[in-house]
Order: sequence, then C-alpha cells, then structure tokens
Amino acid sequence: MKIVVTIKLVPDTNADKRIDPATKRLVRTGVETVLNPFDEYALEAALQLKEKLADGSTVTVITMAPESGKEIVRKALAMGADDAVMLSDPGFAGSDVWGTAYALAAGIRTNGFDLVLTGTQSTDANTGDLPGALAEYLGVPGLTYAREVSLDGGRIRVKRETETGYQTLSAPLPALVSVTKSANEPRYPSLKGIMGAKKKDIKMVSLADLSLTKSVGTDGAKVELLALASPPVRGKGSVVTVADGVAGARTIVDFLKEKKLL
Amino acid sequence: MKNVIAYIEHKNGQARHVSFEAATAARTIADALGGKAHAVVVGGDAQAVAEALKAYPLDAIHVLADASLDKLIDPAVDALESVAKSAGPSLVLVGNTMIGRDIGSRFAARMDAGLNADVTEITVEGGRVACVSPKLGGLTITTCAFKSEYGVAALRPNVFAAKPAPGAGEIVAIAPSGKPNLVALEDDLDEAAAELGVEEASVVVSGGRGMGGPEPFKTILKDLADAFGGAVGASRAAVDAGWISHGHQVGQTGKTVSPALYIAVGISGAIQHKVGMRTAETIVAINKDGGVPIGDFADLLVVGDAFAIVPELAKVVRETKAARA
Repeated sequence: MKIVVTIKLVPDTNADKRIDPATKRLVRTGVETVLNPFDEYALEAALQLKEKLADGSTVTVITMAPESGKEIVRKALAMGADDAVMLSDPGFAGSDVWGTAYALAAGIRTNGFDLVLTGTQSTDANTGDLPGALAEYLGVPGLTYAREVSLDGGRIRVKRETETGYQTLSAPLPALVSVTKSANEPRYPSLKGIMGAKKKDIKMVSLADLSLTKSVGTDGAKVELLALASPPVRGKGSVVTVADGVAGARTIVDFLKEKKLL
Repeated sequence: MKNVIAYIEHKNGQARHVSFEAATAARTIADALGGKAHAVVVGGDAQAVAEALKAYPLDAIHVLADASLDKLIDPAVDALESVAKSAGPSLVLVGNTMIGRDIGSRFAARMDAGLNADVTEITVEGGRVACVSPKLGGLTITTCAFKSEYGVAALRPNVFAAKPAPGAGEIVAIAPSGKPNLVALEDDLDEAAAELGVEEASVVVSGGRGMGGPEPFKTILKDLADAFGGAVGASRAAVDAGWISHGHQVGQTGKTVSPALYIAVGISGAIQHKVGMRTAETIVAINKDGGVPIGDFADLLVVGDAFAIVPELAKVVRETKAARA
C-alpha cells in the first residue's frame, strides 16, 4: 500500500526566535531549520508499518516548502522514506492552514495514497488544525492523536489519546491518522540511509501542476494578519532563599494571599 | 459573518467549562454583529446538556440526541454544517481542545472557512471579526481578521468568562445527516476520570527534572494540585524520562496553559518550557538553585528543598481554605 507522511520544515525548537516588525515574519537568519519534531513520530510509525507489512508497500513524504528545504527532506529519506514530493512555488507563500491543507490534499491525491500519517502539530504555528482539515479535503476518515497504529485487513486501528485516557477507533482505508509523540522513538538515519537518500527521488511540484480551483497563498488565505504585538514582558520577580519547608510554604502562602490567589 | 455558533463539548452529561465560555462569548459577539447566538450539542446526553445550557444567553440550542454518535468527529461536523448553513454566514466557536480542534478544522475545510487557533480575545469592528492569538509560544501576539463568509475560532480554555444570563434558549432538533459512520469507536477508557486537564485548570502544579523520578508526580505534586483544585503538569525532561504521561507536558512540544497560578517545581525554565506557561497570570517557582532561568520571569522564586516545601504548602493551603469555609 501507499503510505504518505506529511512533513514540515520549522525553525529549531531550542532557538530563541523573534519577529521582524517590518515584514511581520519570523527572522530565520541564524535560526537553523529542522524537520518538525512531531512529524518524526509519524514517519517512524509509517516506516514501522512498512517493515511489518514487508509487501512492497512504500512511504512517500510530502511537504510544502521552498526548494532550499531539500536538505531537510533528505533527512526524512535518510530515515527510510522511499521518495518525496515537494510543493514548491512562490505562489504557495503565505498560505494559511486552510490553503496548506487544500494544496497538500491535491498533491497527495495526485500521487495516490492508502494511508496518510501526520504529526499532531508543528512547533512553529502549533495550531494542530492541519490533520483534520487535510482529512476533510481528502474525503477520508481522520483518526487523530494515535499512540498505536495497526492494520487489520482493510481497516486501520488506532489507540487515540484523550485528555483522560484513550479510545480505540477503527476505520476503512483510505484514511488519515495523526501520530502523537508517545507512539514511538524515531530512528536516527544510518550511514547507509544517508548515502542512499542521495539517490532517492524528490519530485518538485509547482502551483500550476496541481490545477487547483481555489486560490492559495497570501491571496487565497481565509484570514488576514491585521496586527502584530509583543507580549507584555515578564519582569524578574522576587527571589527568596528559605531554610526549611515551613519557611518556604509560609513565603508562598503570604505571596498568594497578597495576590488574592488564596 | 453575522451569527455565532458555539459547539458544545460534553462528557457524562456535563458540558465542558470551555463550552460555557464559548456560549457566553457567542452572545457578546452576536450582539456586536447584530446576529443570533446559537449552540450545537450532539450525542446521547445532548438533551440534558441543552437544558443546562438554557442558563446561558443563547437564542437557539440545536440538539442531535443520538448516543451512537457519542465521541465521533464526523457526525458533529455534519450537525455543525447543517446548523451553519441554515443560520447563514457565521463564526463557529470551539474550545482549543483535542476534540474542538478536530471538529473546527474539519468544519473549516468543508466550508472553506478561515481558522484561528488558540484564540484569547475576539474583537468586532465595523462588522469585521478578528481574533487575537499568542503565536510562537507567546513570542508574538497576532490579530487576524477573517476574509471568509464562515469562520472558526478555537478558544483557549480559561481565558473567556462563562457568565450565565437569561436567553430565549429555544431548543431545536437537528435532522440527522444520514451519512454512514465510517469510524467505529471500539473502546473508550478513562485512566483518570476525575482528573482535570492542564489546559483547563486554574491552578497548575508542574514538576521537572528536579523531581528525580515518577513518585513525586503521584504523591506530593498531586497532593498540592488537589489542595488547590488544580492539575499536575510536567516539563519535557520529566515526560521524556517516562515519569508522567505526555498529556501532562507543558511547553513547546506539549500544551500551552494560561492558569491563574502556575507553580513550577524543580523546573529550570528553559525556553522550551517557558513558551508553554509564560501567559500564566502568576508564576511561582520552587527550586534548589537560585540561578535557574525561571527566576528571570517567575513572580516568586523560592530557593529551597522542594520535597520539604511542597507537602508543607499543601497542608497550609488546605488549612487556609478550611478556615475560610
């Protein structure tokens, strides 16, 4: 079967990021771009499914990113994906979640799929809205927040995390599943994988190639940025060193009472 | 858009608090737009939940009472679509929760509606609706207006007020979509039924690497959280070490919280954690090291032995509350 994994390129999680007030965009200079950490769990889940099936099933990664993101896409190929599709076109720039899901759905459909795996969210936009929107555009069931994924005949079965426990859900293929970080431990690319990735195919897809009927990018976005503000700066508060538990508790209780929190 | 529709999440016959917040906001926004405030409730307990919702200032409460639809996403989206289409261009309010995001995002795609996630404020100016959301973990705050006829705003729990007030509250039945359910719910297990999620709690007590193991999360931190009626959170270090499940993680690769009080125990406060909790109203940190980064933005850093301070604090909080009761 054809497994497709969506990936996103994001600024390094540990970098201290800032916004350029003039362009209202993230300053990327000096900030390393990495594979969205959440997507690695989806990719690992896809690779494990493929290995278990061992029937010639393939794993394709797809992303919307400028051509400069190829190096990061190679990392996904080095981990074991068979090939990659990059939606790469200046016309995609400024797409909101809506436009991104719509264009990715078109790219995935063109390529063909039985199962789409996504991360649960990205570390930059962090909306967590892509999996649902993508499932809708693909017209398939969306099983989100899966910490276990298995195949059973023609059905996909997941253990879905909820706020208080978990559910077991199943659906016929084709389907979309978003994978949580508790699902697995993503592998590191092996040396063989890294060498092999150089020969794997990265298919470049332009906006025109997709023949979309709706407009994407900044013009097609359904939301428009009106203003950008800096959050109020949290200043340094008081620091109190205490001798024992009683003194520590009293310090905190006095402070909470003063703040009317107790 | 002119009308506002609050999607009501519920469990065991009770609406979630964020849904009451959505119902209250629906009225305010609908009034500013000169439209109507609706609510949509789907599932086995829908009728009972709708009765409770009558305490909120809604014009109409749309109900699809069918236990076979419980906890499924697609029937909820179908119901929302049917109400939205009959109401006309509307803003849909969901909670920025796991269920709310699933329903809101699918609805947005179906209706070609704009989507604003993690919304902390909604403004209406000249008939135009805009949403304020912290982005990049609170690094910047954006105001985004809708360009679409329909829109979805996912409300960050605990930010909007839930205020009961009389409304017409007419209960209207939603016609079932008749679509087959492709997704089957085979099992639903609560591991911690009574536990409040970190996103909704007004007090969060989080532990980090300094806790040294899983035990404190079940004992002293849990006890302190219980004393406040709050929830237990954790840093990435604690979750990655396997001391507590990922559902409790606060930070960039976990949840973003805005409680009235955040107590960070044995957490250094690296940027990864900071972005998930810096919008808390008050931050108190307990750490054995006075030089930790969290000291730069906590309102109070108590330097001392957490294992001695936390149990004592729980005791005093309980005593203070009991004395007042």
